[in-house]
Amino acid sequence: MRLSQIITKCGLQKVVFCSDDEIETGYCGDLMSDVIANSANNSIWITIQAHKNSVAVALIKDIKAIVFANNVEVNQELIEKAKEEGINLLRSERNSFHICGLLYQFLEAYSEED
Amino acid sequence: MSILHSREKLTLASELIYEIKVKDAMTRGVIFFSQEATFREIQLSLKKNRISGVPILDENKNIMGIISIDNVITALDKNYVNDKVKHYMTRDVITIPQHYSLVSAIKKFERYKFGRLPVTKNTHSNEITGILTMGDILNRLLVNIQSIAENVERKEDHNTQLSEKMFKQAKQKRLRFEVKKADFDNAGRVASIIRKYFQQLNIDKQVLRRVAIVCYEAEMNISIHSLGGYIAIEVDKSNVIITAIDFGPGIPDIEEAMKPGFTTASEQIRALGFGAGMGLPNIKKSADHLDLESSMETGTILKAIIHLGG
Repeated sequence: MRLSQIITKCGLQKVVFCSDDEIETGYCGDLMSDVIANSANNSIWITIQAHKNSVAVALIKDIKAIVFANNVEVNQELIEKAKEEGINLLRSERNSFHICGLLYQFLEAYSEED
Repeated sequence: MSILHSREKLTLASELIYEIKVKDAMTRGVIFFSQEATFREIQLSLKKNRISGVPILDENKNIMGIISIDNVITALDKNYVNDKVKHYMTRDVITIPQHYSLVSAIKKFERYKFGRLPVTKNTHSNEITGILTMGDILNRLLVNIQSIAENVERKEDHNTQLSEKMFKQAKQKRLRFEVKKADFDNAGRVASIIRKYFQQLNIDKQVLRRVAIVCYEAEMNISIHSLGGYIAIEVDKSNVIITAIDFGPGIPDIEEAMKPGFTTASEQIRALGFGAGMGLPNIKKSADHLDLESSMETGTILKAIIHLGG
């Protein structure tokens, strides 16, 4: 599913939007090592960890977009870093549980269609 | 079914059954009957098509029941083979939605001892889009394993060794990065640089990711737990060697530190999402070979080797 479709369907706020990537699956986690070990590539990552290191983790794992839950504050430094590395940043006032639930529904329904 | 139970021997197959979906393995173009059909008609069809069961569907292809060769034999035996199946068929049919993974199908086969599972369009639908047997699953696994094997062969041709030119280029560039104590913002920097650099060398993506994971975790470890240190990356023709050295204070009990979940990180560090006690286990998982030496006087030396051949 295209990232732009996900953004519309889940009502996410675009913080940095560099490319409309194809998203295959997702992961949710706030522990960097957990995400490093268990996330998939071409995925979307839901977290509350909004610091520069999150972009590094996304880059290493080929994660295409990070969704910051609970409307956590995203500082300018992080935004610059994401632009530089081409990682999409999104934000939502919902918590991780809600975002995951919505996303799961959409991604599953999408994979049913084909 | 042995696919689920011999996990050590068949790691690849058991990984695949989680990845492949029912719809990718099932037989489409299902042979089916209405509930007005007789056992005789079904018996002839089973024989002609060499199959061992058929679903009974309504006009909208919704599942009504299922008739297997066993049911036909019983009908012959009890002398109602010319009757319509609607009076005898199993109505409580176990089905599986097409977007489920093969592992859930295999579990159902094991649990109910059926030979076939009708496949529904989705979780809330009774509309049948295909039928799945263990034979379909094995066929699909063989096809996937074949293509993986071909990929491995291709990779062996190209990427297990660096070309002469790349090798020279890699040799010339000394890759050594300082890592500062408690510099979490910049941690991840080494992993990012290394990743980009190795991308240019045209190394296999999976290997690249493992190199990046080792660099990242080693970098975080130095940053969180030590007074500072450095990471050096060397390349020889068929390996990437990552050496992470810090200036102390050293790891008191290496065995304990290798245990998943063991951590000495402060609450503050853990609130940032670091220090989950998964760093060293992650490194161990990603490296083909890992050496870890630590002294309370001089600090820690970690050496991880990753084969380019994967």
